[in-house]
Amino acid sequence: MSMSAEHDDALDDEVLRQVVGELRKPVRLDPSLDRRALDRIQAESHRIAPPASRRWGIWIAGAAVAAGVLLAVTLPDRGTTPARASAVALEQAALAGDARPVRLRLAAPTSSRVAVVGDFNDWDPAATPLRRAGDGGTWIVELRLKPGRYHYTFLIDGRRWARDPNSPPAAESDFGAPVSVLTVS
Amino acid sequence: MSVAWWLVFSVFLALPPTAWAQDERLTERLNPATASQVQQVVDSARRGGLPGEPLVQKALEGATLGASDDRIVAAVQSLHGQLRRAREALGGQASDAELTAAAGALRAGLEPSALRRLQSLRPDQPLVIPIAVLTDLVAEGVPPAEATRSVLDLARDGRPDDEFVALRRQGRAAGAEPMGRPALRPAADPPVDQ
Repeated sequence: MSMSAEHDDALDDEVLRQVVGELRKPVRLDPSLDRRALDRIQAESHRIAPPASRRWGIWIAGAAVAAGVLLAVTLPDRGTTPARASAVALEQAALAGDARPVRLRLAAPTSSRVAVVGDFNDWDPAATPLRRAGDGGTWIVELRLKPGRYHYTFLIDGRRWARDPNSPPAAESDFGAPVSVLTVS
Repeated sequence: MSVAWWLVFSVFLALPPTAWAQDERLTERLNPATASQVQQVVDSARRGGLPGEPLVQKALEGATLGASDDRIVAAVQSLHGQLRRAREALGGQASDAELTAAAGALRAGLEPSALRRLQSLRPDQPLVIPIAVLTDLVAEGVPPAEATRSVLDLARDGRPDDEFVALRRQGRAAGAEPMGRPALRPAADPPVDQ
């Protein structure tokens, strides 16, 4: 190896040591850099955020969703037994697994038609007519009712109320008509 | 329309119709003012955790029987009060059927303490039948104290519902004799209902 080549190698080594030395020195950052970076991020987030009116809209929508869920959970469903649905109500009771067969009878040999009204058919005079039995004097209807306590009365010929003599009378008579009580167990 | 308003609109569509509508049975059978008054009582009951259906049925009963509007509202309000008293007697765990039966018992003149005693004797069994039998006995003319004692005796012995029904039949037979009526005793007759 020539002297010139050795000198070049030595020079290269010296340059390399100086470079490495500079790289190994600790980096000194501006102490305000963190603060400036955070300020910049905050400014950018304000620019990206929706306007106040839109934020309010989202809050209102969220509150409405929460209120809707709350109402749906807490309010009872009155729609399951709709109006004028006595026959439907009876059918639903019959379809229910715990419905019990109940037979009501009334001796009314001179009557031309008999119906029963009560808690089980929304007190609808047209919902539950009785049929004349074979003896001609007795009127009969079969119901299927869930266990519970029902108030009812018979309507004879569309104009006269008659309590069921085979059932206990209602303890109360709010409206003056004779009413019976049926307990299905 | 913004997304927010679409969300609000969707919520209202998703709500059950009952959240804002009156019970159709009331609006169809009562005049509007009476239906509204009854509905308020029904809603109040439901908000308070009481069954609303007995109140609806009471109003429909009045409508069918031709009662005046004032009388219908008064009867519904009275029943609401009885349901509240029934729940005070039986507590929040009572079922709707038990509350309804208990309201009838209180209406018949029985004491809340009798209901509480009955509940304590049958802590894990339904109370509808014993309460109904107790009420029926009183309605048939059996003195409340005697009816209460007989029913509580059955409950204390852990008798099934069938024996309460048999007791009611015995009470009905006894009630037909105004003089010299024999004291009620728990009956072992087979249960026969309607």
